[in-house]
Amino acid sequence: MKKPELLAPVGTFESLHAAIRAGADAIYFGVEQLNMRTKSTPTITIEDIAEIAKVCQQHGIKAYLTLNTVMYDHDMQLASRIIRECKTHGIDAVIASDYAIFAMCREFGMPLHISTQANVSNIESVSFFAPMADVIVLARELTIKQVAHITSEVQRRNLKGISGDLIKIEAFVHGALCMAVSGKCYMSLHEKNASANRGACVQNCRRPYKVTDLETGNELVIDDEYIMSPKDLCTIDFMDQMIEAGIDVFKIEGRSKSAEYTYVTTKCYREAIDAVLDGSYNPEKITYWLSELEKVYNRGFWGGYFMGKKLGEWSKDPGSVATEKKVYIAKCTRYFPKIKVAEFTIESGQTNTGDTLLILGRNTGADKITLTELVVNGSKGSIAKRGDKITFPFESVLRPGDKLYKMVTSDA
Amino acid sequence: MPKIIHYRNKCIGCNICYESQPEYWRLSRKDGKATLIGAKLKKETYILEIPECDVEASKTTAEHCPTKVIKVSV
Ligand code: SF4
Repeated sequence: MKKPELLAPVGTFESLHAAIRAGADAIYFGVEQLNMRTKSTPTITIEDIAEIAKVCQQHGIKAYLTLNTVMYDHDMQLASRIIRECKTHGIDAVIASDYAIFAMCREFGMPLHISTQANVSNIESVSFFAPMADVIVLARELTIKQVAHITSEVQRRNLKGISGDLIKIEAFVHGALCMAVSGKCYMSLHEKNASANRGACVQNCRRPYKVTDLETGNELVIDDEYIMSPKDLCTIDFMDQMIEAGIDVFKIEGRSKSAEYTYVTTKCYREAIDAVLDGSYNPEKITYWLSELEKVYNRGFWGGYFMGKKLGEWSKDPGSVATEKKVYIAKCTRYFPKIKVAEFTIESGQTNTGDTLLILGRNTGADKITLTELVVNGSKGSIAKRGDKITFPFESVLRPGDKLYKMVTSDA
Repeated sequence: MPKIIHYRNKCIGCNICYESQPEYWRLSRKDGKATLIGAKLKKETYILEIPECDVEASKTTAEHCPTKVIKVSV
């Protein structure tokens, strides 16, 4: 079995470091207004490309830049500046779906991945794109059998990408799905003039709708469900089959989500992939990963189209049904690298031993710890309140200013 | 005098303002964002005084901007 690359979503520097900490093999991010999460993410700018490339190179992981919106004539200069910047700083590839971007990548010698926005759904399309790209992200609407057929045909036909290696096949393994075929949704554009294909989706599909009989004026609420809002994709319970299907890159969706989402999803899929490969993948582990994944942003899970189900699993809520939320409690004041101890000052609420804590920071990313021992103002204790200084052992480096949150149950 | 205010940083260059009022807007080829023609820059926002007769049309443009980065003050 070949080991797939795990590709994590990055929308901020926090999530970049969270992805690295959680064991991603590669990350993807967008800059300025030419990516599909323009409206919802605090935008990373063209100036940040250098730092992102450097951080990824230092940690030995790959970095890909998405440039996959609909492109207009007035976007060409910016797009070409972005690609040149990627080339200069050694970003590993650009993910695109517009022919102008394909041409620019060729001109600048920039490796290219074909975005899911291009809807590649069959081997002939793969074969068409292969000579210009290294990776092809499949449409999200394929079954696992269809995907396996594509990957085996790549081998049989010996389809090579532009680099001379076999063309790689990428698929989404986790995150939001859309009621429309990848990249073909015009609902937000029709209703709010906000084009999803320019990264401005207003997510109006995520709301409940009524059907009105125009003749009688009678209104029907359909099944109490959000009939245009599919549940989120989750494949962790059939990771073994996903790996057997020969997919080269496993992508997690969620560039507009939080750093802890990136951390938890990446960590779970890292462990699941490794478990399949070392033979320790089992039902207990799956139950544990599912419970971890449920703690962060999600609309409920289903296996997507991979298992050949018809589109029929709709969410029951307008937003996330995450089982945990974070409450801010303290700020990092020091880290003692020799003894590996972190010091925090409590600024709000309190914490006890036994609490699960989340640490977030721009250059730290995200990390979780369950407090087993606690030192409050220099002596052993079990409760710390506002104004107290707490210290606890922590393996990896933290930085002054990093924030500490307590994880509590969502409906509390 | 009424004004159009453009918070340009968050513009996504979708082209709608130009389609609706080409006399006031163009799309910059340099950075792909909309430019409010002749506007003055004040603390990261662009401001342009407009005649009373253009207020209604400008409000419609502002309403249609998907990122709501256009405001009309009267
Ligand atoms: S309508 Fe708004 S977002 Fe679109 S180009 Fe004009 S100012 Fe920018």
